[in-house]
Amino acid sequence: MESEKAIEVSGLAKTYKKFLAVDHVDFDVRRGEIFGFLGPNGAGKTTTVRMLTTLLEPTEGSIRINGYDVSRQAYHAKRQFGVVPEESNVYTELSAQANLLFTGRLYRMPRGERERRTTELLKLFGLEEKQDVKAQFFSKGMRRRLTIAMAMMHRPAILFLDEATSGLDVQSARTIRDQVRQLSENGPTVFLTTHQIEEANQLCDRVAIIDHGKIAVIDTPEHLKAVFRSVQSVEVAFDRKDPGHRDALGMISGVSTVVKHGDKYRLYSDDLSAVLPEVMDYAHAKKLRIITLNTMGPSLEDVFLQVTGRQIGTVRHDPADKSLGRGSGKGRKGGNR
Amino acid sequence: MSEESRMDRIRGEFSQAWALFLKDVRTYYLTPPMVMWGLALPLFMFFSFSVRRGLAPQTGIARLLALTTFFTASSAGSVIFPLERRARTYDRLMAAPMALITILLSRSSVGAFFAVGISLLSLLTGWALFGASVAQPALLTVAVILSAYSFSALGILVASGSAQSPGQIMMPSTLLRWPLLFISGIFVPLDRMGVWARGVSYLSPLTYAQDLLNHAVLGTGVQSIVLDVAVLALLLILFLGGASKLQRRSRKLGY
Repeated sequence: MESEKAIEVSGLAKTYKKFLAVDHVDFDVRRGEIFGFLGPNGAGKTTTVRMLTTLLEPTEGSIRINGYDVSRQAYHAKRQFGVVPEESNVYTELSAQANLLFTGRLYRMPRGERERRTTELLKLFGLEEKQDVKAQFFSKGMRRRLTIAMAMMHRPAILFLDEATSGLDVQSARTIRDQVRQLSENGPTVFLTTHQIEEANQLCDRVAIIDHGKIAVIDTPEHLKAVFRSVQSVEVAFDRKDPGHRDALGMISGVSTVVKHGDKYRLYSDDLSAVLPEVMDYAHAKKLRIITLNTMGPSLEDVFLQVTGRQIGTVRHDPADKSLGRGSGKGRKGGNR
Repeated sequence: MSEESRMDRIRGEFSQAWALFLKDVRTYYLTPPMVMWGLALPLFMFFSFSVRRGLAPQTGIARLLALTTFFTASSAGSVIFPLERRARTYDRLMAAPMALITILLSRSSVGAFFAVGISLLSLLTGWALFGASVAQPALLTVAVILSAYSFSALGILVASGSAQSPGQIMMPSTLLRWPLLFISGIFVPLDRMGVWARGVSYLSPLTYAQDLLNHAVLGTGVQSIVLDVAVLALLLILFLGGASKLQRRSRKLGY
């Protein structure tokens, strides 16, 4: 069954007793794209992913995976995707190779293909040398790589990645991001759930921001940034500290907000060309030396804050969101440009 | 994507069940909880209640087989399901293209074959040390396998809630299994029970397993073989059906 869209979600809702965790969301994911699903802890991300991957039954709405309805054609729908959950769920008592071979058998791959694919993935994910070692002796990063390899085993058309790099060191996270980028170039659609704005910014063709169980916005990262022009900013640092800088800079015409970041002030405005000369005039008038002066487009984090009105680590109660209470979603700074 | 025929689909489900069975045998047999609850406990029960009571070897063997099939088979589900739920590896099976009943049947086989293996050991020990003999070997094979499957399915039913550690399951499982053991005809034969006690004993699946094993090992029982077989088969279906229903419910409730 061929469909233009890899994932079609319509009116999807999930209620736990009286708590509405996902509130009638609609969205599509196109074939071959990397689709980012962003939201604060408890926004409904994990609940949505669990419904998309058939692990949780929706209260209302429909989901089609590569054209297959997950409630009526679950068997066919399940063959279309691989899942990388937030927690690396490898069989720790089995070796890397045995984990992959078992996954191949679960997806009914013929023996020869299973063995070839296992060799290929062990190499791709840098696990060749440890192929016979039980996964319980693996580092967190290696288990993560093995989990992704297992999800890729049957060459799925769609790959669900839930917080793929959460809790990993910088090097492992970068390796995984590079691998996701390479994998997506070869075909599979990637549905990436993340708290990490910069990760979504770097990897995703489009992002959806979910908050309080509702989709707040869906667009490409660059379009979102362009739409939210009011969150462009000028970042300035002076050689002398003065508590009065903040109020004085806030008086400049066109500046909507001033936020102090360490020794720097960030002035938000939708007209940076008007603000810049005023900042220079202020420095001149106060006999201040400007140490740093940067103009910055809106980061995806700025967009996120604008849309949701809160920091990424803010928690809302959601029974199915397993990331709750683990402190994994501290408001991490997106890379401003 | 080419559509599979019904036969291909069934063949595929068997292949998946076999793969899961082999993986579970490799992973969970001889893990401490399985050895403790599936092997040590029935042996402890047997020696506690049977030694020095002047049992004939055959009677002892029939009792030991009933105890091992009951405790050993019903332990597997109670160990495997919570461990996999905690490690989230159970999600891997639920997201794979296989039917829930395939998973449940495969898991029943894991417990059942563990129990069959332990029963075989018990039988060989009884034969070697005490010269115990078996009246109807073919019936014994049917009795052990059917009882082991029924009790394994009972273990899966109990483990189909939301618990995420074997300890959480073992409490309700023990609360269920011990009364079933004591009301059954395993320690006090059915023909020596009073009317009321005998009526209550029919509520325990172990009563039918013990009676069937008595037919097989001793060559005599109180009820008809057909009734014993029919009840155990019916219980197997009911336990698996109940487990399936509970697991579907947990998919709805999200645990």
